[in-house]
Amino acid sequence: MIDSLIEFEQVHKALGQTRVLDDFSFSAGKNKIFCIIGPSGCGKTTILQLMAGLEQPDAGHITGLAGQRVSYVFQEPRLLPWKTVAGNLDFVLRDVVTPAERQKLIKGYLSTMGLYEYRDSYPKALSGGMKQRLAICRAFAFPHDLLLLDEPFKSLDMPLRLGLVRYVVKMWQAAPRTIVFVTHDIMEALLLGHQIMVLSARPTEIRETIELDLPHEQRNVGEEPLTSLYAKMLAMLETENKKYYPGL
Amino acid sequence: MKNSSWPIRSLLPISGLALFIVLWQILSGLYNHVIIPSPVEVVRSFYGLAVGGELWEQGRHSIARGLAGFGLAVAAGTPLGLLIGLNPVAASLFRPVVVILQVTPLISWLLLAMIWIGFSGVPVFIVFVTTVPLIVINVFQGVNSIEQQLLQMASVFRIGKARVLREIYLPQVAPYLLAGISNALGVTWKAVAMAEFLSVQAGIGASMAVARINLETADLFAWTASLIGLGLVTDRLLSYLTRRKLSHWM
Repeated sequence: MIDSLIEFEQVHKALGQTRVLDDFSFSAGKNKIFCIIGPSGCGKTTILQLMAGLEQPDAGHITGLAGQRVSYVFQEPRLLPWKTVAGNLDFVLRDVVTPAERQKLIKGYLSTMGLYEYRDSYPKALSGGMKQRLAICRAFAFPHDLLLLDEPFKSLDMPLRLGLVRYVVKMWQAAPRTIVFVTHDIMEALLLGHQIMVLSARPTEIRETIELDLPHEQRNVGEEPLTSLYAKMLAMLETENKKYYPGL
Repeated sequence: MKNSSWPIRSLLPISGLALFIVLWQILSGLYNHVIIPSPVEVVRSFYGLAVGGELWEQGRHSIARGLAGFGLAVAAGTPLGLLIGLNPVAASLFRPVVVILQVTPLISWLLLAMIWIGFSGVPVFIVFVTTVPLIVINVFQGVNSIEQQLLQMASVFRIGKARVLREIYLPQVAPYLLAGISNALGVTWKAVAMAEFLSVQAGIGASMAVARINLETADLFAWTASLIGLGLVTDRLLSYLTRRKLSHWM
């Protein structure tokens, strides 16, 4: 049973002089979608970096990550400028997928994200949104048990964001894996998350973790319970924001 | 806008060159031709050297020595620069050596090379020691310019060390290496002529020594022109290659 959770136990983490996480504990269910929402600078990205093993906690434990293949959409696209659109996908897939399967994956994901006709272009020729879409392709195509998404839809327009939220739902339904989704967008969190962790401003504490068992098909932003949850979360986030911007 | 500016843009350098030649012609009229030969005399001298085979006969020695020293510098400097960039221990070990190499006076190298390896090897050695720091320092800067974010990305997607080196470090370093090569080539032909002047019997530098002794100033100018030509040709060739190899992504 212990293995069905990813757990942070009394994790401390400082970056330079800033104590980002102080005695921070939470657990996320495996093969579920876990959303993290909170004001800027509250440590959301640090939590993902700890999960990816890119940072180590200064104290405390993180369990449930052993043997997990991680895929990651970073806040920035992080593409290799000297590789083409297809080459950037090939870069991460080469050692883990057979050549035939690779071609299929690349073509499939690039077509889904509207990038297939740009497969031989270099990143410098892409717009910001296209680069972000390519980074999303790369993370989705890479075989994983744990998918970390750091505000992945930030630079995209509203209809595309909604489309991608639905796409993540479909992907998860086809093969349920752990997804940790960091966002500023309450609606995205409500449409995706099985659990939504709302964080406070620094010093970071968990304001509330909302459990949402409602199947994804029945989630509608205009209907209960999402409308009242939306209002509740917005109120919480506004309170937290006031700590940063007392004048607003 | 573009149409009206291009004839001016290509005419200006030509006008500059023409002005230079006119001034040269005027000065050569004021002084003895041993001091300043006229442009026509220099062209005639250059033509004589070219037709007589002397230009190629001497030039090929200089080209071979220059390319050998320069090639050795690239072959040794690139891995050394990578090592210094990647390994902090190697950095503290080799960086002082590279700095010392760079600030040691050329004349010391010349004399030491004559003692250590004999006269014939001096030009290659001099080109090597003057160009190798340029390669090392540029490659090192290239390694330093690697974005940590890309390395993190590669580590998340579990890309092996060899592939990170080949597919992230090398492409990132390539433009820096080419800048180093460009600097090194600029130095190569000057260094080779200087070393030949002082150490050997054949080559452009040695021929300049002969021209000086015989007071054939026009020949001196002609040999200088051949060195300038070498520098221009290699510089153009390099920037052409750079554009072909890197422009698609840079």
